Amino acid sequence: MSIKAVAVPKPRRHTWSGRATILLFLAPALLLYLVLVLLPIVQAVYYSLFNWNGLQPLTNFIGLQNYVDAFNSTLFTGALSHNLMVVGLSLAIQIPMALGLAMFLSQRFPGRTLFRVVFFLPYVISEVVTGILFYLLLQPDGAVNNILWSVGLDGLTRDWWGDLSVVMITMFFVISWKYFGFHMILLLAGLQNIPKEVMEAALIDGCGKWQAFRHITVPLLGPTLRVSIFLSVIGALQLFDIVYATTRGGPVHQSDTLAYYMYDFGLKRQEMGFGSAIAVLMFLICFGFALIYQRFVLSRDVDGATTSYVG
Amino acid sequence: MTATTKPFDDTQGLAIAVPKKHKKQTKFGVFLSYLPLWLIGIAVSSVIVVPLAYAVFDGFKEQGQVAGNAALLPEKWIFSNYGDLITSPVFWRQVLNSVVIGLLTVGLVVVCASLAAFVLARLKFRGREVVYTLFTLGLLFPAAVAILPLFILLRTLGLTNNPLGVVLPQAAFSMPMTIIILRPFFQSIPPELEDAAKIDGCSTFGFFWRILLPLSKPALATVSVLAIVGSWNAFFIPLLVFGNADQWTLPLGVMNFSTEHTSNWASILAFTTLSMIPAVLFYMVAERQIVSGLTAGSVKG
Amino acid sequence: MTRGVSMKEEVIVNLVPKRLIAGAAVLALVASACSSAAATPTAAPSVAAPSVAPVVTVAPTAAPVTIEWWHISTGEPGKSIWQSAADAYTAAHPNVKINITILENEAFKSKLQTSMQAGTPPDLFQSWGGGTMASQADAGMLKDITAAVAPWASTIDPGSLGIYSYKSKQYGIPWDMGMIGFWYNKALFTKAGITATPKTWDELLTDVDKLKAAGITPYAIAGKDEWPGMHLWTYLVLRNGGGDALTQMVQTGNWNTDACIAGGTAVKALVDKKPFQTGFLSAVYDKGEAAAMGNGQAAMELMGQWAPGVEQSNSTSGKGIGANLGYFAFPSVTGGKGGATDAVGGGNGIAVGKNAPAEAIDFLHYLNSPAVANQINLANMGLSTTVGTAGTVTDPNLQMVLAGRAQAKFVQLYLDQATSPAMGASINDATAGLFAGTSTPTQVCQAITTAAAKK
Repeated sequence: MSIKAVAVPKPRRHTWSGRATILLFLAPALLLYLVLVLLPIVQAVYYSLFNWNGLQPLTNFIGLQNYVDAFNSTLFTGALSHNLMVVGLSLAIQIPMALGLAMFLSQRFPGRTLFRVVFFLPYVISEVVTGILFYLLLQPDGAVNNILWSVGLDGLTRDWWGDLSVVMITMFFVISWKYFGFHMILLLAGLQNIPKEVMEAALIDGCGKWQAFRHITVPLLGPTLRVSIFLSVIGALQLFDIVYATTRGGPVHQSDTLAYYMYDFGLKRQEMGFGSAIAVLMFLICFGFALIYQRFVLSRDVDGATTSYVG
Repeated sequence: MTATTKPFDDTQGLAIAVPKKHKKQTKFGVFLSYLPLWLIGIAVSSVIVVPLAYAVFDGFKEQGQVAGNAALLPEKWIFSNYGDLITSPVFWRQVLNSVVIGLLTVGLVVVCASLAAFVLARLKFRGREVVYTLFTLGLLFPAAVAILPLFILLRTLGLTNNPLGVVLPQAAFSMPMTIIILRPFFQSIPPELEDAAKIDGCSTFGFFWRILLPLSKPALATVSVLAIVGSWNAFFIPLLVFGNADQWTLPLGVMNFSTEHTSNWASILAFTTLSMIPAVLFYMVAERQIVSGLTAGSVKG
Repeated sequence: MTRGVSMKEEVIVNLVPKRLIAGAAVLALVASACSSAAATPTAAPSVAAPSVAPVVTVAPTAAPVTIEWWHISTGEPGKSIWQSAADAYTAAHPNVKINITILENEAFKSKLQTSMQAGTPPDLFQSWGGGTMASQADAGMLKDITAAVAPWASTIDPGSLGIYSYKSKQYGIPWDMGMIGFWYNKALFTKAGITATPKTWDELLTDVDKLKAAGITPYAIAGKDEWPGMHLWTYLVLRNGGGDALTQMVQTGNWNTDACIAGGTAVKALVDKKPFQTGFLSAVYDKGEAAAMGNGQAAMELMGQWAPGVEQSNSTSGKGIGANLGYFAFPSVTGGKGGATDAVGGGNGIAVGKNAPAEAIDFLHYLNSPAVANQINLANMGLSTTVGTAGTVTDPNLQMVLAGRAQAKFVQLYLDQATSPAMGASINDATAGLFAGTSTPTQVCQAITTAAAKK
């Protein structure tokens, strides 16, 4: 019986029915995953070698020209730099803020559940809706500027989506609004997982609060923090919905992200070959980052990293 | 503040002022000690709530009263913005589409992922970890990366303008995360139970179906909730697959509405509000599942 | 991007019961048959009458046929006019069923792209002709209708018809054609002490100074959409270099020319005066540009024939600036090689998918019959290209546009439509840099040349 073959400590020779069970159970998930997740990446590599508008047959083989074009395009490097800017700001501002709020919520006081529910609320609101909402609130004659005017802070008003030097900051604010709650919840769970005894012992030993935070909380929170940072970076590299719902990459491509750039050139301008090259580059960037991160940062808690992407 | 024995949670709030002496405090004193915390909480909450409140109330304003106006509450309450939408079959059509797509996605991903997670958790075979790693790799394949070739693939399969063209990829892309949540849960079910089942003459599938799945309800609830939230909010895949307005889900509908009525902010925000309501209500009901799902892994880590 | 007919025109007509419109159309038809010959060069009044015929021809025994038709007239009056035209046609041809799919402009483009790639284009769909249509034709997605429309092709304005022809084959039919010019607020011009509309670009620049001095925003533009600025740039390149030079740039892809740089420099002269409304870089056409005009907050915009309707529907009052709205053709450039009547223009049409049944082309004929064409004019939905319908263009400003269309010796189709989608987007991108102050006139020409070389 197949039962004999399973749930035993060491691998044993399987009966045919045991193998059939394994195959049968794995097949649907594996098939969907291979065909719809992995195969497209492989195809993208192939398409990226052609000058192709997506309509005609694939005949115009141009080798790596699309990649050369991408790196020669200031728009591509611009888009990449915007992604990196979001990554940098997320690490410098969003994650520390999420940590601070997680610490805040880990205290016991009346109302903290309510606060937790509210802080996390934006996570369930779609990017598109978030984007449209803030796109309107932050118009030149939108609510935010009007509030600033009404309280006499005229100097702070901006053309939030139109000013070349401000637009990515605005974008980052909207992204943070939507996602800080997610990181906060991750970190909160990590905090609650730190054994009480450790902290108590530290405090008894005369640790100051800051020292305890610095030398105990942060290190023990390490795995969760690393996961949070990992997800933040991967998330920042694939921003699309919010850009689509707000600036569509404008003005003059000052808020393009890689994913939006790929959509713009691949689909809207019908350069499917070039768009595929961008897709491959995006994948390589994500993959490269993940490998390096896993190798040097996450090596100790890989399991933690993967188990908690939960999106 | 060193050698006191405070409740654990309080000692964690190092970055923030913490109420110090809990004992021997008057009611007012207790209130006062919580005050800084509440102020911080209210300040952060208002950053979240105020924009949402603007969306809700702007929907009641007259067209033309939204732009150039700092007031949150309408001068004159107009109900037609919401009314027109609620009475429009198009809106309900999109709600229905979102629901159907969401349920199909959840059904598919939960069935496939729990079967796979079961094998990966409880059966030993050569290549098991390879398969598992292959799935975890999927976390690095955001839909955005694969979207162009995926689109071409769906076109080849004749799945554009077909609900399956959205359901299948969505299920595929949430497969890794679902398996990753389910596997440790399945692993944690004691082997004794399985032995007992074996003695009672259960087949592998019998154990899976009659014992493991019922015991895993919390984990299944979690992954279902996460999948449905993901599907409800999804935009990129439906954008490419559905051209036909009859098939649009809510995010597409809202987006299209807002580009079509650029000047009518009141109606756009009314639509935005209405499309948020189901997600927010669902969140209120399922907050526990969502939060526990998101944190499942890091607790383990 | 909302452009072309843009379909947001909330015009007075949609308040009037449909039956009245139809009645008016018939009356107008009679009127135009007698009066409009002068306005449209090739008009032969007698042609109008027979072209009503398709409605009447009933083919009761024919096999059932379904026509898939996608259009982008999401707003009134276009939506109703198209629907009633389809209803009228199917009533006369009971075997024909017309499935209408109405899509917003942007959604339409991605949806069409999807269906083209799936090899299943709709039978009839919105088209602007030019380069996008050419790439669809190259992909074999369009039907060659040259022979099928030959019997009635002469009822369509030939210049407009040519936009939908590629390599001497006809793939679509226009139903609207106009040109881009300046729409201005007479009251604000007067307030700034401007007595006559500018005849030259230098005069226009002076007027901008006057308007600014009077505290008026001189110029409304939609920076986010890019194409309104691109049209301004095209006009100035055209005025500097002339039609032949511009055609050569489009065809050879070499934009590193004196005319191109001179055009960009002229744009820059305007941009440097900071004439645009606050937040123009993130402004979209409807909300940012048209609303500023419709609410009387800006003195002028450069836009096509659809401008009055879009201004109205986006104004707070819903009425626009009414009689204060004036029109003048694009000024000439002193020393430029381009003629004063040369124009940048374009319009809307319907292309025919590769699998379209013969009935689809017959229906297209009906859509271009005076019965429907006059409704398009009367409702300010567009400027019909059907010969002999000029009489139903009643708005004095639109009459000026129509006259300009008739006078123009050279019409450059909107550059982002005349070229391939990729090229068009690159031109929009490049010129947007001028308005954002991120590129120089020379860099713009170089960027477009580089983009063209990639093809």
